[in-house]
Amino acid sequence: MIEVLVLLIAPLLAGGLSLIVHRSALLHAINLISMSLLVAAEIMITRTVVRDGPFTALGQLVYLDALSAFILFIIGAVGLACSLYMRSYMDDQVARGVIAPTRLNLFFFLFHMFLLAMVIATVANSVGVQWVAIEATTLATTFLIAFWRRRESLEAGWKYLILCSVGISLALFGVVLTYYSSLHVLGDVSEALNVTQLLPVADRLNPHVLKLAFIFILVGYGTKVGLVPMHSWLPDAYTEAPAPVVAMLAGVLEIVAVYAILRIRIIVDHAVSPAFTGGLLALLGFASFVTAAFFILIQHNYKRLFAYSSIEHMGIAMIGFGVGGPLGAFGGLFHLLNHAFAKSMAFFAAGNIHRRFHTVDIGQVQGLAIAQPWTAMALMVAGLALSALPPFASFVSEVQIVTALAAQGVPGQWLTNSGGMVTFALSDQFSSLSLTGLFLLCSVLAFSGMLYRITGMVWGTPPDGIVQGEAWSLGHLPIIALAAALVGFGFFLPQPIRQLLEEATRIILIH
Amino acid sequence: MSPIIQSLLLVTAQVIVLLTVSPFLVGLIRKVKARFQCRQGASVFQPYADLAKLFRKQPVISTTTSWIFTATPYILFASTLSAGLLVPTFTTQTPLNFAGNIIALVYLLALGTFFLILAGLDAGSAFGGMGSSREAIIASLTEPAMILSIFAIALTAGSTNLSTIVHKTALLEGIATDPSPHLMALAALFIVALAETGRVPVDNPATHLELTMIHEAMVLEYSGRYLALIEWAAGLKLAVFLSLIANVFAPWGIATTLAPTTMGIGLVVYVVKIAGLAVLIGVIECMFAKLRLFRVTDLLGVAFILALLGLLFFYILRS
Amino acid sequence: MQISPHTGSQLVDLCSALLLLTCFAIVAQRRLSACVDLFALQSAFLVLTAALVAFLTGNPHIYIAAGLTGLIKVIIIPRVLKKVIERLNVKRELVMNINVPAGLLICGALVMLAFFITQPIIPLGFLLTRDSLAIALAIVLIGFFTMIARQKAVTQLVGFLVMENGLFLGATAATYGMPLIVELGVFFDVLIAALIAGIYTNRLQDAFDSVDTTHLTVLKE
Repeated sequence: MIEVLVLLIAPLLAGGLSLIVHRSALLHAINLISMSLLVAAEIMITRTVVRDGPFTALGQLVYLDALSAFILFIIGAVGLACSLYMRSYMDDQVARGVIAPTRLNLFFFLFHMFLLAMVIATVANSVGVQWVAIEATTLATTFLIAFWRRRESLEAGWKYLILCSVGISLALFGVVLTYYSSLHVLGDVSEALNVTQLLPVADRLNPHVLKLAFIFILVGYGTKVGLVPMHSWLPDAYTEAPAPVVAMLAGVLEIVAVYAILRIRIIVDHAVSPAFTGGLLALLGFASFVTAAFFILIQHNYKRLFAYSSIEHMGIAMIGFGVGGPLGAFGGLFHLLNHAFAKSMAFFAAGNIHRRFHTVDIGQVQGLAIAQPWTAMALMVAGLALSALPPFASFVSEVQIVTALAAQGVPGQWLTNSGGMVTFALSDQFSSLSLTGLFLLCSVLAFSGMLYRITGMVWGTPPDGIVQGEAWSLGHLPIIALAAALVGFGFFLPQPIRQLLEEATRIILIH
Repeated sequence: MSPIIQSLLLVTAQVIVLLTVSPFLVGLIRKVKARFQCRQGASVFQPYADLAKLFRKQPVISTTTSWIFTATPYILFASTLSAGLLVPTFTTQTPLNFAGNIIALVYLLALGTFFLILAGLDAGSAFGGMGSSREAIIASLTEPAMILSIFAIALTAGSTNLSTIVHKTALLEGIATDPSPHLMALAALFIVALAETGRVPVDNPATHLELTMIHEAMVLEYSGRYLALIEWAAGLKLAVFLSLIANVFAPWGIATTLAPTTMGIGLVVYVVKIAGLAVLIGVIECMFAKLRLFRVTDLLGVAFILALLGLLFFYILRS
Repeated sequence: MQISPHTGSQLVDLCSALLLLTCFAIVAQRRLSACVDLFALQSAFLVLTAALVAFLTGNPHIYIAAGLTGLIKVIIIPRVLKKVIERLNVKRELVMNINVPAGLLICGALVMLAFFITQPIIPLGFLLTRDSLAIALAIVLIGFFTMIARQKAVTQLVGFLVMENGLFLGATAATYGMPLIVELGVFFDVLIAALIAGIYTNRLQDAFDSVDTTHLTVLKE
């Protein structure tokens, strides 16, 4: 199908061209054109999926259903926003001499390869190809993170490379185990990892092997998502990378990793009771949420603050998926969308603040409302959205998740006694009420920490020596659009997006 | 032929084989090293000439020594030879297999080492004491590794009697039933063999610097026939270990019956096998440098862990 | 040449045990170039195992995977790493957080853990090689341990490559290799990862004058 081809070829071509072209205006133009093509293709795919249901393309290589279309939508939207933001950001960096103009080619090439890998990870039919693509994203982003070449950037990049590669290798073991179990049932060699082949026979696959496979995949891809305790690369990487890169990492890459976990989860849930996977997801989700909430309270670096906020929100989404049920799953997916928008906006604001104030210390940034009004608005909106306050959409998604949690509780009483497997028991005393209480407590902690810091930055008078006033540029367009979307979705979800979300929820809840 | 005459003949045969082969092994290793160093090297049969020369000379004994000094060469030679009689060489029916098993083997060798350590201390010289203490460290670390690795094999064969083990393995006519524990045990036993016989990377037998010696330091005071006995015993120990490794892990070709033809083939195969292992040791001596003493403990730790793992693999593969 | 399935599975087990042995040797090593050589040796054994499985099962595409492994992991990557080591002027790990015997004991425990974890799977095996999957997981865990326990960036990279070796063994022995496109993708990824890490080590050397990752402690909390 033509859209799928456009989806794959546009970033590839753009990447190739970025290596050759030298004028920065042309590089940006190529970027914007490729991104717009991506968004257009994705809109067409969404229409097809909503109307006709899941379909395969390119001879069983590509599988698209509502879930993949939803993720593609996030990739496209955030990607477009990033590309617009980069228009002014990168030129500013080159003008100030932070990056040599020749390195801009490398930056765009890596950016396009990163996009291509994420698209492949989302649309691939074979779980193995999905793995290859996610590992490729790690490789593509390593140099993007260390782009400044400072000591701290190198340290962050190295940690990222090592930790993510290790994690993803563990995920490969999980994929091998899945293949092992599917070979028994399917027997065919090259197709046995395709989602289209696995779904029909999923209830015949061996539950022990699948449980083990899911654990490995959860730990592996969970490293990419940033779940505790595999999160240690995240704060450093997000602090040191350039702002548009972080926006893509936080907004898009984490969500693609969550998608990979969900795909396997859907298959595993056919063979093993959903309580198993749900319990594990909720466990990691809570661990992330609680840890991140406490860390948010003690932050002095605004980029690190947003990094921990990422961990927190991914935790919340995982809790939503873990609790399950229509409300929990919908809430989880919706939360992914809201987080992507809010986080990218936050990092756009962070990038602008860094350009003006030349520091990442919260204490030294004051009076943003006077110095950079547009950025101050972006920061405020992002901060409020990340704290899940009304009237923003993230309030709605978090309320959905909390309601599901209070009503159903965590699937905590699973005890697996199958010969030799690790036995795991969540104590009976964890009633749904106490967990809800924990959730709300951490919510309050995170919100207070975030809001305190942000209001400290926005109000007050700017320090001496800071240029005041902010000229309108193309980079402000995405900020306005994202803010409008965040507010708008809280009240009214446009019909196509609503249909997509509902379809995707239905896919996750197979029972 | 009555059984008593039979065993007497076997004992004599094995004694002769061992005594003849051990200086040859030492000479072979030296030749291999010489060739690697692009030298001609002494003849392979030089150690025979050395032994003959030493036996003719008059020993000189320090006045500060006790009876241990003069008794040790005999004790060492006797215990090592007895240990040799427990190991199958060219036939699976070892002459003394009714009298002892693996544990007896290990402790006969340990008896010899013990007396050698005492003799090193006996003369009161600083170098002797130094060599003795080093040898004590190495002996205490190799013993558990050796026992564990031999146990791993004994468990597979179901007996601690060496001739039973070798007999059973030889009759299986194929790769051992559980290769993994055997592989670990082989690796461990090989390292132990290098350590116990004083080869590089544990100890350099050709060194003339006293501060680097371990085995040689203990025997610095010896001369004449005592030195000859000790040198021969060292060669015997080497032959014992190589026979152990060759026949426990790759016993094919060994004579399982007492027919003369099979025994003849067994003898030839045996000599070829341990000569091959001796060449391997010579090559290893040329490839590696001697380890510093505190690194030797690391190496022996590796041997211990490998032996332990061999044992564990056996149990895991069983269940 | 006809080999009975029983003997064949024993041969594959033997090769897997050899691989495990090289793993221990890597953990016990201090010299960086020796680690890289041992990794090349391990990859050579891996090629042998893969070729053996291909011969025994008659699956030609495993030969391709074996050939690629040989090319990339026995020749290309060790060369790259050797060049990196030369440029770095670093020869050995000077300070080990966990000394060699303790490290080896931990590796032994990891092997036991791997066998324990894969126990429910082993009885399922109708394929030739039953406990190669367990050994593969053991190698992955030992590689992981090497990455944690060592400080020099090059040794950490070798640990990662050992993990990949274990995964390839698992894929080959337990499932007769993955679909070809996945295998190709994995090889490509590993190669790029090694190259990137090589470039990284150079940058680290330039920035920090050392590749001791204990210096990477600036970012905290």
